Amino acid sequence: MAADRQAEEERLIALMIGYQKGNTDDFSALYAALKQPLLRYLWTFVRNATVAEDLLQETFLQIHRARRTYIPSRPVRPWVYAITRHVALMHLRSRRRRKEVLANEELPEIPVPPEMEKLADHATLRKMLATLPRPAQEVLTLHHLLGLSFEEVGQILGIAAGTAKVRSHRALKALRAQVADKGEVT
Amino acid sequence: MSTEFIPENLRQAIVRDLRPVRPLLPPWQRTLVVAAVTSAGIAALLAVFKTALRPDMSEIPMWLSWGCSSLQLLVGLALVGLALRESIPGSALPSGVVAAITTTAVLMQVVIGIATWLYSPGPVLSSGALAKGVGCMTHDTAMALPTLIATLWLVFHALPVRAPIAGLLGGAGAAVTADAITHLVCPMSDLRHVLVWHTGAMLGLMLIGWAAGILWDRRQQRQPLQFEDA
Repeated sequence: MAADRQAEEERLIALMIGYQKGNTDDFSALYAALKQPLLRYLWTFVRNATVAEDLLQETFLQIHRARRTYIPSRPVRPWVYAITRHVALMHLRSRRRRKEVLANEELPEIPVPPEMEKLADHATLRKMLATLPRPAQEVLTLHHLLGLSFEEVGQILGIAAGTAKVRSHRALKALRAQVADKGEVT
Repeated sequence: MSTEFIPENLRQAIVRDLRPVRPLLPPWQRTLVVAAVTSAGIAALLAVFKTALRPDMSEIPMWLSWGCSSLQLLVGLALVGLALRESIPGSALPSGVVAAITTTAVLMQVVIGIATWLYSPGPVLSSGALAKGVGCMTHDTAMALPTLIATLWLVFHALPVRAPIAGLLGGAGAAVTADAITHLVCPMSDLRHVLVWHTGAMLGLMLIGWAAGILWDRRQQRQPLQFEDA
């Protein structure tokens, strides 16, 4: 598992270096590799598939514009997720300024961490995840769903690795408590 | 380019602008660039202001004069390095660490000021205190400007996802670097003068860096994403 992650990270680094050199195929491969995980992460912020798709394009434009800020040999994923988060937060800020609210039927479409899958059905877990504060959702998504280490999560969110770990632990505990309350433990 | 996954408008935008780029230098190498600008700027300003060492240098022990100034220079450049690191996405420092580092930088200046006053209290300022204070603050700000401008230029030409924090660290770095020089040249040890005007200048420079970050953030928010060639 760790070897797979290491190999994937090395592949991303090679693609990113090729992309910086102007290789179009490397950009395509990078897009293909990152599209789904980035969409999942963006859902944590906007909880709407259409908006997430739009933000994904904006994220790739921002990645393109900032591609020289990637320092070769450093992990690609913290760099990419930090840019994605920046784009999502800018969007939320401008939406707040415009006082836009999403329609209720558009809420929520949050992926479920594998650790939680055995606790209840997906629909129930999604509803429960949606009730968590966004920082907790973010840590759960980045660590449990997208497989980033707590250190990488800390670098993306601007918190200590220990804080990320504590947030994740508390979020999982809160979810377990909710499941237990509803008597839905399988 | 394989186009099956990529939306057409995104693909076109990328293809239009897909030219090789040179990656940014790592933060520590960019800090060396700022150090060079700082050295040249401070040397030029010392020549322009015709600044001499403070008259009571012989009363202050070496560790407190040259020693503490050297330490402040190193701390200032380290803060600049952290600002440049903060300008790279995915390299964010924990907010608590940022708060602790900037507070320590200010406290260090205060402690050095107090220690210097204990060794060489100097005359108590009564007349002309305001004019002297304003003069010192102007001097401090001028000394910090080369570092501040070089740091913020490099920070905002990367992608600081927490621009106010990067600006704050840059402002703190410039302020501490400038204070390292001022400590050697300001002839006044009076604590009121040091704490009001020199610490004030330091806090002001940090505020300027932070405000520059906020302005940069707002500018980014207003501007739709554009390609350099577009």
